[in-house]
Amino acid sequence: MNARNPSLYKKESGIALEANSLVKRYNKSSRPALNDFDLQVNKGEFFGLLGTNGAGKTTAVSVFSGFFPPDSGTVSIMGMDFRRQAHKIRQIIGVVPQEIALYDKLSARENLSFFGRLYGFGGKLLEARIDLCLQFAGLTDQATRLVSAYSGGMKRRLNLATGLLHAPQILFLDEPTVGIDTQSRHLIHKQLTALNLAGITILYTTHYMEEAQELCSRIGIIDGGKIILQGKPNRLLQQSGSRNLEELFLDLTGKQLRDT
Amino acid sequence: MRKIITTAGKELLLLKRDRTGLLVLFLMPAILVIVITLVQENVMELTGQKNTRLLFLDLDEGGLGNSLRGRLSDNNFAIVVWDKRQKNSDALQAAVAAGDYQVGVVIPEKSSHKLQQRTEGMLEESKADDMKNAPGKIPVDVFFDPGIMPGLRSGLTAQLQMALETIAMEAKITVLERKVTEIVGQFGLARDAGPLPTAGLAALFGRQLFALQDGGDSARAGTTPPYNPVQQNVPAWALFGMFFTAIPIAGAILQERRSGIWIRLASLPVSHLLLFAGKVVAYMGVCLCQFLLIGLIGVFLFPYIGLPAFVVAGHPLAVLLTVLFSSLAACGFGIVLGMACKTYEQASTLGSTVVVASAAIGGIMVPVYAMPQTMQQISIISPLNWGLTAFQDLLVRGYGGAAIVDDLGRMTLFFLLCILFAWKLARTR
Ligand SMILES: Nc1ncnc2c1ncn2[C@@H]1O[C@H](COP(=O)(O)OP(=O)(O)OP(=O)(O)O)[C@@H](O)[C@H]1O
Ligand SMILES: [Mg+2]
Repeated sequence: MNARNPSLYKKESGIALEANSLVKRYNKSSRPALNDFDLQVNKGEFFGLLGTNGAGKTTAVSVFSGFFPPDSGTVSIMGMDFRRQAHKIRQIIGVVPQEIALYDKLSARENLSFFGRLYGFGGKLLEARIDLCLQFAGLTDQATRLVSAYSGGMKRRLNLATGLLHAPQILFLDEPTVGIDTQSRHLIHKQLTALNLAGITILYTTHYMEEAQELCSRIGIIDGGKIILQGKPNRLLQQSGSRNLEELFLDLTGKQLRDT
Repeated sequence: MRKIITTAGKELLLLKRDRTGLLVLFLMPAILVIVITLVQENVMELTGQKNTRLLFLDLDEGGLGNSLRGRLSDNNFAIVVWDKRQKNSDALQAAVAAGDYQVGVVIPEKSSHKLQQRTEGMLEESKADDMKNAPGKIPVDVFFDPGIMPGLRSGLTAQLQMALETIAMEAKITVLERKVTEIVGQFGLARDAGPLPTAGLAALFGRQLFALQDGGDSARAGTTPPYNPVQQNVPAWALFGMFFTAIPIAGAILQERRSGIWIRLASLPVSHLLLFAGKVVAYMGVCLCQFLLIGLIGVFLFPYIGLPAFVVAGHPLAVLLTVLFSSLAACGFGIVLGMACKTYEQASTLGSTVVVASAAIGGIMVPVYAMPQTMQQISIISPLNWGLTAFQDLLVRGYGGAAIVDDLGRMTLFFLLCILFAWKLARTR
């Protein structure tokens, strides 16, 4: 995806994303979806945000991607603040929403072309980027079909690829592998690892434990809108004595349903 | 600017692929304008705003019938004459009652003869000391279509009475003239003085001295097209269709908001205002096409189905501006609808209710002047009323661009308020 030399990226160090004491309520009366949420993600990291349904993952990603501001607390991305440098931040973040973010009645190419133009691309450069994204999604042959005619897995892959259109420096992926088959998931994992090796910082939300264990260099467990544990997966397992992340997760968050 | 065009292009592409949406946007106002105009054309007949069709049966054939028809022909009557050898009074009554004609007139047998007798005997009558014993009036039968409005009925009655009285007056003067000549002749004056100045008196008395000037519905310009339901309905239903685009606009926004698209768009380096602008540009184009379609139907199709043609008089540029500003208001409403509602069902129910109610209040369905006083005052809150007032100022009253500035101003303000509100919603949701 990115032609630049990965080794140059690796030398970059510092904080890609920093969130301090975020609070976000959807309704004044309800309990907060984010409750004193703190997080630091370093440049070049593949960070996994793990949580039950309703834990606040999507809300966190929405705040990071500037969809809405937090009620209180601060977010900075690559050292920039949304309140002052929203436009600059938007040039360097890539967002892949949990819901499919594509126009059903447009083809893959038309979707990519539309979003690409909104990033300001045009002409040959736009065409080149679209081709790369189609290749990434494995949809080069199906580029002119309407998205509505795609299978769930194809939509997911295109949804992910669209977030990479402008070669972002930091990617927010909100459960990008929900409801797809092993082949598609495998392809996505491989490509995300490659992107990360190329230097792109990734924040990845999921509730698939094996996925987090396989991909992420560091994970954070969110519960009730708050990070309750974070660290490298292996280190966390050693400390807790759990056999796998699933067990650790259940120990931490309990066995009853959490989204009610 | 390029990004606005990109957004507008995407919007049009989506619309092009939405067959039912297109059908609603273009077919609905087209059908409405044709059906409603055809229906109202009938209403205009019943209220006398068109030529009155008069059915005439002369059982007398003694000259009175011809005089009466001659008197009526210069008023707005389309007279059909039945032959007494083929039809009778009952048939005429039935035809009028069925609504084929608004009024039927039957001259009974021997009416001309009676008229002559009455006028000849006039002088003897006046000598008789009690007028109460004067012979009765000469009956002329009139039948009205039961569907016509009371106002038109009394107007027609007065016209017929007037025509008959004039004929009677002429007959009386003719008799008087002859008597005077006779009397003068008895005194032997006539031979010296030449013909008496009484000649031609009858015609002179029959002549009207007053002329009621019809000021052309108080319209200003000389080139005003005639007021008919077409001039009202074509812009009215085009406006209705244009405001209905609010629902597809809201639908487009809700589709984005309810999928991940809205989050993706929010993460792009473009503001909500730009995205709104793209939608406004696209749908203003749609509204313009709607107006053109309805206008062309009015101009070219209406004459083929027996309706008067739509006339765009005077200021085409001002008409275009009215179309554009009306569509601006419609787009603003659509955007706010899409941002304020939670589901498409909500938006389409609320949207169509508001549009239909505003259309009714605004005078699209029933002209404002025909509404009760309170409703007339309320009508000015409807954006459709602003558009309609502007169109009527231009197309019916023949005013120039200056007359519509206030309406265009209101529509701009409405649009800006809608966008401002929608933008606030977009930033907090
Ligand atoms: N638009 C909204 N209006 C009101 N409440 C909301 C809204 N979106 C989320 N919530 C609430 O906020 C809390 C966090 O939701 P969020 O979507 O962030 O969870 P999540 O971790 O992404 O869950 P999932 O794994 O199911 O996607 C939940 O209690 C949810 O009910
Ligand atoms: Mg979620």
